[in-house]
Amino acid sequence: MATALVIIHGLVAVALLGAITHQTLATWAPAGSRPGSFFGRFRAVPSASFTNAIVVLYAVSALLGAVVYLFFRVDVRPELERDGHWQALGFFDLKEHFISIGLGLLPAYWVCWRKPLADELGRTRAALTAVIALIVWWSYLTGHVMNNIMGFG
Amino acid sequence: MTYSPSFRRFAFAYGTANAVFYVVALARDLALFTVFPSLGVVLLGTHHSRDVGDPSLGFLAPAIYWYGWTATAAIGALIPSFIATFFPEQWTRRIWLGWLWVVPVSAMVACVYLTMPWFRL
Repeated sequence: MATALVIIHGLVAVALLGAITHQTLATWAPAGSRPGSFFGRFRAVPSASFTNAIVVLYAVSALLGAVVYLFFRVDVRPELERDGHWQALGFFDLKEHFISIGLGLLPAYWVCWRKPLADELGRTRAALTAVIALIVWWSYLTGHVMNNIMGFG
Repeated sequence: MTYSPSFRRFAFAYGTANAVFYVVALARDLALFTVFPSLGVVLLGTHHSRDVGDPSLGFLAPAIYWYGWTATAAIGALIPSFIATFFPEQWTRRIWLGWLWVVPVSAMVACVYLTMPWFRL
């Protein structure tokens, strides 16, 4: 049960990572990219079309993570404490905190990306997208390391 | 799908308020409830194992506070967000939009500071 949930959680996280990375890079990439270049094609994708998917994937991923956390707290974390993986546990705590802060940002993020895109929200939209991308990347990498840490150690 | 100006005020206030409330909940250990997954028990408020028995019980009955901190912040942030929906448009137009990302980023930095003890062990 826990293994299946972790795998589903990981797959949802990969989809979220792809969507938010694409949207962030398309938002922040310079507008002068050559039309036929990789970045040119990358940037040509309408970024706003990712918004609903990102909100849903973030919420589903957070929910699955919250369920998996029950197993982690009982079966995994005591082992990590016994082995003295304090820094990894610190990084994981940060992941929890960042995710909760990111959850609260989702309504504002959604509003910022609603069409027609409001000009006065341009910088806020870019900054919020970058913050959510940072949270998603941190969470993905930390979760991935925690999933494999006993294999590393 | 579109949104009303009052929903925009709600959403912007909620994002910032949730970040502030989360840091306060974390710093002051204000979990709305505590979950003991191995026992299948949920208690209202923050409960540390040493409150009810030997400290070693913490290993036998690990507690989860993260759900409680998140709930504290999520519910607490509703109050200023609902109040913000009643603000006139000309008031909120004067508020710098940058607070919407500056406050959460500051909250994340505060979380890093509050998590530092893990890195000194």
